[in-house]
Amino acid sequence: MKRGALLAFVLIAATVAFIVIGTVWPISTAVAFAGGERLLESSSTPEAAARNLGQEIRLKDWGKAYSSLANRSKFTEQEFVEDVTGYYPSLRTYSSLDHFEIRPLHASDSDADVEFTLDWSTVVGTLPDTRTVHVVRNGDHWEVDWPMQKKPVLPPQVIPVEYLRWDVINRGPGDDWGVQDVDGPNVRIVDMHPVQRAEGVVVLGELLNEDVLPAYVSVTATLHRKDQSAIGTESAFDRISHLLLPKQVTPFLIQFPNASLSEVSSIRMEPFSTLVSASADPVIEIDNEQLNPAPDAALTGQLINQSGQVVNVAHVLGTLYDKSGNLVWVVDQYVDRALLPQTPVSFKIPIPEDLAKKVSSQRTVVATYSFGGFL
Amino acid sequence: MDNTEPIDPLQRPIPVILCLMVAAVVHVPLLLMKLPLKSFDTNFHIFFASHYFHHWFDPWNTKCFAGFSQATYPPLSHQWVAAISPIFGFDYAYMVVQLASILLLVVGVYRFSLLWTNARAASLAAVASVFVGAESFLVYHAGQLATTSAAPIYLNALPFLYAWLRYGNGRAFVKGSLLFITAAAVHHATLIFGSVLFAAPVLALAFLDRTDGRRAATGKVLARAVAIGLLVGVAVAIVLLPYWIALIHYPITQTPIPHESRANYILSPEYGLTYFIVPWGALILALPFIFLHGSENVKLRPLLFGFWVAFLLGLGGTTPVGSILLGRAFKVLTMERFSYWATLLALPFVGILAAKLIRRFRLAAVAGLMVLATLTCALAVAWSSIEPPDPDNYSVDPVASWLNRDGHDQYRYFTLGFGNKISRLAMMTDASSVDGEWNSGRLLPELMQYSGAALTSSKYFGTGGLDALRAILKHADRYGLKWVFVRDHYYDALLSYAGWRPVDYLEDKTIVIWSKDGVPPAQPVNAPQRPPHWQGLMWGTLPFGSSILAILVLLLIPERRRQHAEAGLHVTPDQGVAARSLAS
Repeated sequence: MKRGALLAFVLIAATVAFIVIGTVWPISTAVAFAGGERLLESSSTPEAAARNLGQEIRLKDWGKAYSSLANRSKFTEQEFVEDVTGYYPSLRTYSSLDHFEIRPLHASDSDADVEFTLDWSTVVGTLPDTRTVHVVRNGDHWEVDWPMQKKPVLPPQVIPVEYLRWDVINRGPGDDWGVQDVDGPNVRIVDMHPVQRAEGVVVLGELLNEDVLPAYVSVTATLHRKDQSAIGTESAFDRISHLLLPKQVTPFLIQFPNASLSEVSSIRMEPFSTLVSASADPVIEIDNEQLNPAPDAALTGQLINQSGQVVNVAHVLGTLYDKSGNLVWVVDQYVDRALLPQTPVSFKIPIPEDLAKKVSSQRTVVATYSFGGFL
Repeated sequence: MDNTEPIDPLQRPIPVILCLMVAAVVHVPLLLMKLPLKSFDTNFHIFFASHYFHHWFDPWNTKCFAGFSQATYPPLSHQWVAAISPIFGFDYAYMVVQLASILLLVVGVYRFSLLWTNARAASLAAVASVFVGAESFLVYHAGQLATTSAAPIYLNALPFLYAWLRYGNGRAFVKGSLLFITAAAVHHATLIFGSVLFAAPVLALAFLDRTDGRRAATGKVLARAVAIGLLVGVAVAIVLLPYWIALIHYPITQTPIPHESRANYILSPEYGLTYFIVPWGALILALPFIFLHGSENVKLRPLLFGFWVAFLLGLGGTTPVGSILLGRAFKVLTMERFSYWATLLALPFVGILAAKLIRRFRLAAVAGLMVLATLTCALAVAWSSIEPPDPDNYSVDPVASWLNRDGHDQYRYFTLGFGNKISRLAMMTDASSVDGEWNSGRLLPELMQYSGAALTSSKYFGTGGLDALRAILKHADRYGLKWVFVRDHYYDALLSYAGWRPVDYLEDKTIVIWSKDGVPPAQPVNAPQRPPHWQGLMWGTLPFGSSILAILVLLLIPERRRQHAEAGLHVTPDQGVAARSLAS
């Protein structure tokens, strides 16, 4: 072989080899774009079958995911998709699967159970969904027996709605929101104290709307050193219910990442309020509220939508108190399923293990959002 | 050397002026239609140009990221758009500069190809450059003005580099150096990577040729290479000094942002289509010839190696080569520019292949090549419509008007769901945004610590993008951020729970304006990062001045006939340089 031809052969062979290497053992960036997919994966074990299903859900390759299920004859592909993404518009509908984890629970020659934890990336943060799935052997490979959750069916009914509503009339459509010729509703911080946590300083508290009008509220805190220089200013962001009806109380939690309580000499709290239109509807009843002790300490309960409208997103804020009634911590959780009228939806909000033993009582509030509507 | 002109028109070189006319016929209508405005980055480049138009000597731009320095991006192409915008307006000024780059590419490919092959093949390579998919892809889909402007200047500099290295030609030294500096003032990355991919093969060619004709000692060639390298290095350091200062003081600590060009094109065939099939087009058919012919001819081997490395890098994450050779830069650079450079390095081979085919198959080959070239170019141009960067065609004028009235511009804003129109909006409004498209110019920690690009497209960057969005919303008070313009209701729930409320609607309620109450008016931020006045003077003077100087020197100092030959500018009928280059 001529030297030139040999060189051409070497370069072409090297190119092909690089492509093969890059495809069989792709670099992390390429794996991420391929949705975590790698070549030469087969469902030869229960974990591999669950992993393949997770990758297909991540890629939203619903056809492939559905056809890999052992119990697919019991439901349609559309029902499977709706089971995963929600039957009604909710946070889950507009989310993507960020990553998933698989933990084997039990295995035999013919079947196995694995814990399937799916972390959904939503606009309000990552929301986990844990399911125990049954995996069965089918010949030389394994298939997931998908645990379908039955679609809630509501009987035809009439729900009378009687609720208070406050409307605010502005000067004109060109007015800036918040530019009003009236004072903001009277609000007051009824409790506040800072806590040192591993991630930094956390300021907890409760805010009361003392007025007879609804209020949009927010709370800002500024930490000061002894020399009165500011360490930082933060606000409660979404760890607060921004809409308070008359006499309502909301907890708030303000985080100062990387700050140290030993540096803090004083804290300036700035509650803000302004008058807004509001209604008491939808009313969300909280049922079976319960504080579960450690291990696996959590605040659990059920949300029941008492109105006749679908609530697309619900945010549960739990205020935890000790025996003396002092505020210990604020926990929160978004519910990633829509709340249908009169249909209970469970929630389970973890409580930090080190605080769980101090907690003896709690109070829970729910903030709701419906697509196309306002808070 | 055979100096007789072949009578057969299918054997003669195509005059460069004819090649330029072909380029004009293909690209002028497309540019007159402002087709690049649909691309990813065109509005971003026009936005930069508009800043230079208003503040030529101040690279500090307050309209994005709450304030950032445009000295983080070489300014020349933007300054040229700004300079001619009073005549053409910003959009057409951009098109004029882009057209100039396309025409320069034709000349550059011709001159560069003459280093490796004869005039006939070089002229065919020049014609091919008009139809190269990668060029049209970058111009009409990616909107990479700087990349497509720097490469032609660089290609035009390389024959001067060869003449200097090979013959010690002083004029070539001056002209080559000025062109290199000008290219760096357009796009620094082209110079950094071009040095390896383009200049190294030319340096190797000068070494291989040193014993032909006028002999030059190895030491002399090496000394000349060091001399021009040092001079250009120092000059680029001075001309772009504000850039280097910004880079040293505020190194790019942006968390890597995913880009599809780093995917594996086999595991993700949709990206393979966009970043391999479209840019390469029919050139894929020429790949076996490039490897075989380049290997068989000793003097073409440096070019082959340069091509091969660029080709592998252009494959993105399909091979591990990019991540190994580039390290962290692999996660920062987009890889389609390597495919672009690889196609340019392939063009001399394409010219040779086309000449061979036409000599053998006559008009049938001409017809076949024209069909393939047309399809390649057409696919790349059409890609901006087939896979549009921003499918929604709407105007941001009402948003700009809203921001510019009633003191709304006292506060900062950003958009959600506006795609690549945020730079157009930033250009039209007096208000300052916390968002922007130039990721390396970002200084706000809320944006830099997450793997999301523009906030307006947060959801497309998964958890990283949404974390950045939440982080900036948390600090709305700090940045005087009061307005969010929403075209994508995906984000409504977050805004609502974070305490924002809809206050107005635009464009038949397709755009909702959300506001947060209690936010103080915007104050200047990032003030320490603002380049001092002397840097602004340098930035406004040296890069643009270097291009003016290069134009003057090229126009006023004529080439002697021998220098033309030395610089690869002579037009030999059929063999000429080819006899030298392909003798092996």
